[in-house]
Amino acid sequence: MPLKFHHQTLSNGLDIVAEINPDAHSFAAGLFVKTGSRDEESSINGVSHFLEHMMFKGSDRYTWEDVNRIFDEIGARYNAFTSQEMTAYYANVLPEFTEKAMEHLAHLLRPAIRQSDFDTEKKVILEEIAMYLDDPGHRLYEKLMELHFGNHPLSQSVLGPAESIRNLKRDQMAGYFNGHYGPGNMVLSVTGCMDFDEVVKLAERYMGSWPKVAATRDQPLPLYKPQEQDLVDAKLNRRYTMGMTPGPSAQDERRFAARVLADVIGDSEGSRFYWALVDNAIAEDADFGFYPHDGCGSFYFALTTDPKRSKQALKVAIDELQRVRRDLNNDEVERAKNKIASGIVLQGEVPLGRMRSIGSQWIYNKGYRSLEEDMATLLAVTPGSLQQLMDDFSFDPMTIVSLGPG
Amino acid sequence: MGERYFQHTFDNGLTLLAEKMPAMQSAAMSLMIPAGSSTDPVDRNGSATVLSDLILRGAGDRDSHALTDYLDSLGLQRASSVGIHHTRLGCAALAENVMTGLAAYADIIQRPQMPQSGFDAARDLALQALAGLDDDPRQKLLVKLREWHFPSPFGRNSMGKRQDLEKLTLDLCRTDFGRRYHAGSAILAVAGNVDFTSLQKQVQEYFGSWKTGTNDEVRIMPPPGAYHHEPQQSEQTHIGIAYPSITEDHPDYYVVRLAVEVLSGGMSGRLFTEVREKRALCYSVWAGYSSLKTQGSIMGYAGTSNDRAQATLDCLVGELHRLSDGITAEELKRAKTGLKAATIMQGESTSARAGALAHDYFIRGRIRTLDEIKNAVDSVTLDQVNAYLAGHRPGPFTVVIVGPKELRLPE
Repeated sequence: MPLKFHHQTLSNGLDIVAEINPDAHSFAAGLFVKTGSRDEESSINGVSHFLEHMMFKGSDRYTWEDVNRIFDEIGARYNAFTSQEMTAYYANVLPEFTEKAMEHLAHLLRPAIRQSDFDTEKKVILEEIAMYLDDPGHRLYEKLMELHFGNHPLSQSVLGPAESIRNLKRDQMAGYFNGHYGPGNMVLSVTGCMDFDEVVKLAERYMGSWPKVAATRDQPLPLYKPQEQDLVDAKLNRRYTMGMTPGPSAQDERRFAARVLADVIGDSEGSRFYWALVDNAIAEDADFGFYPHDGCGSFYFALTTDPKRSKQALKVAIDELQRVRRDLNNDEVERAKNKIASGIVLQGEVPLGRMRSIGSQWIYNKGYRSLEEDMATLLAVTPGSLQQLMDDFSFDPMTIVSLGPG
Repeated sequence: MGERYFQHTFDNGLTLLAEKMPAMQSAAMSLMIPAGSSTDPVDRNGSATVLSDLILRGAGDRDSHALTDYLDSLGLQRASSVGIHHTRLGCAALAENVMTGLAAYADIIQRPQMPQSGFDAARDLALQALAGLDDDPRQKLLVKLREWHFPSPFGRNSMGKRQDLEKLTLDLCRTDFGRRYHAGSAILAVAGNVDFTSLQKQVQEYFGSWKTGTNDEVRIMPPPGAYHHEPQQSEQTHIGIAYPSITEDHPDYYVVRLAVEVLSGGMSGRLFTEVREKRALCYSVWAGYSSLKTQGSIMGYAGTSNDRAQATLDCLVGELHRLSDGITAEELKRAKTGLKAATIMQGESTSARAGALAHDYFIRGRIRTLDEIKNAVDSVTLDQVNAYLAGHRPGPFTVVIVGPKELRLPE
């Protein structure tokens, strides 16, 4: 399965990155924009995500009904997502619909933002916010980000507070769009079965007239400090505890070691947290993970427990983070690497997964890494690199928050 | 069956299915054991779930640590779940590692160690998961909808009942294991870069002596009723609706699948268009076809603010009824394109194919090739769909509400 990489920049500055897989059954295309909740003024927090919804409401040529209908006419698997750091729009289609998919994605990203559609969609956004309020894990995660990042813009919620959504004006959104959506701040990622020259021609035809934007992103130094907060919600049955501590960024070479370390400590099976917390049922769930961000990064953990066991579980988790620095062994590192290697192989077989991975990588690093390079870097990770990583990032300071019935 | 699909049933009843995907490096395995929640002992609902955890805590010569470490060293990405009819174990990785791991899976389902400490923890975790359901009103709604729609024991919550889990013992679990973990009607499906001859030989070697067996007849009882309100102090009201449909092996199956696609296929589906896009009543709304071996159903969901819940339910039911008036040629064309594209793209994932092979064999007693599905979708006509919809009005409905207030059922 030889995957072949191509990169080309259109005359308006739009980057196209492609990974061709002649054995794939489909073609996937995604437009990744380097903008998210961290790039919003706090008064319009939530605008990136709301704007993502508005893209599906039509351009000057199409209504929202046209947008949905045309994607369905070509049998596309299509969607969009917004995070703190990027917003992406994608479609996965059979190769015969390559042009339609490219043309339609291009229309999607030139939205009309009609006032009536804006007013209607605002209600849907408020429903989405309400839906997440019924999810204690999500509520706690937002609180964790807010506390951990303090004055840093990563502290802002992706959905935004309901109040800011209610107050948001159509023209504020249009201004935000004009400042962030254009070549210079986005990339077209395409994967699967395709003729690359043909795809470049299509991009030129449908996206070649987009004006360049000069968006910048603030990179203040996060001011981390140790802190702990317990929140009470009497109607809950379980206690949810999360912690966050600094780690390598999405640009940092140590991110590969960080991923291995995260699996050693907190993969859902066979990890240190599994044996110390889940195997014996102290916690129902105990994860430890790695979140690389743009310019900084985090390790985090999440525990779900009976309310009366939450303190015990937290102590075991913290002890385990101290212990791994003393007695990390080669076998557990090798096992974690093998699991990650399988994931790399499986992801490489599905164009949709690769498109997302390549697009995000370009947003963070303006670079491409093949599966072979990822595999080689992974295999070169040693217990020594993990030790070094834990000397550099010692799980301190840590932000800890919990939510439960009191 | 040509050079892509393979099938063999061993003397003990185990059926091996395979799909050869030579362009892949990976393989995926799906093992379905006839130990689903519907065959839990009557007063020990949740036993299958505890067992599905317990069997992974050491098997053959390996204790719990050694077994987990071994599967991890092969890089197997694993999943296990308990459904209505089966307990399912699955894994995916490089093809040769999945083949190597088969022997360990043979130990897991034939020779689990089932230690007392493992049982205590597995039962404790099952009780914790059950307690967590109250914190997740969306999932709770789906559990309650199945409970109120499907005949018992098919509507049971696979997570179990608190009072049943509390009286479960290791001895009862061991007896239950002896009764339900057998090769009779078990299915092992493998998809990916595998050679069927050597696969068959390995499965014969490791699973050939797995004892055979038959399942007890289950006693079927009607569901408790057609309307249920589960009071919950939640931000949103969660609405579930279900009504009976045909089984998956019925000649009109593709007709129904296409009609459901019109209702809730892409974003141009009727529910998304009418409930979300036009009226902005909710963020999440969908309907889907759901199948038991003996009964098909259409199930739908909407989550919405408490003060707009009645309007949402009315709109949802209105759209279900409107389907009887028929669909348009354009709607059918879109539905066909969508279903066919999804079918072809399923061929890009070894895990998706292994799961589909096993499911097909369980429901139909044979594998459907991807070409068969495409042709069957193509051959459905507009007249067929509209005649079917006119002759099968939706209903009777089961409606379940999780939220602070009761809702009124539409006429």
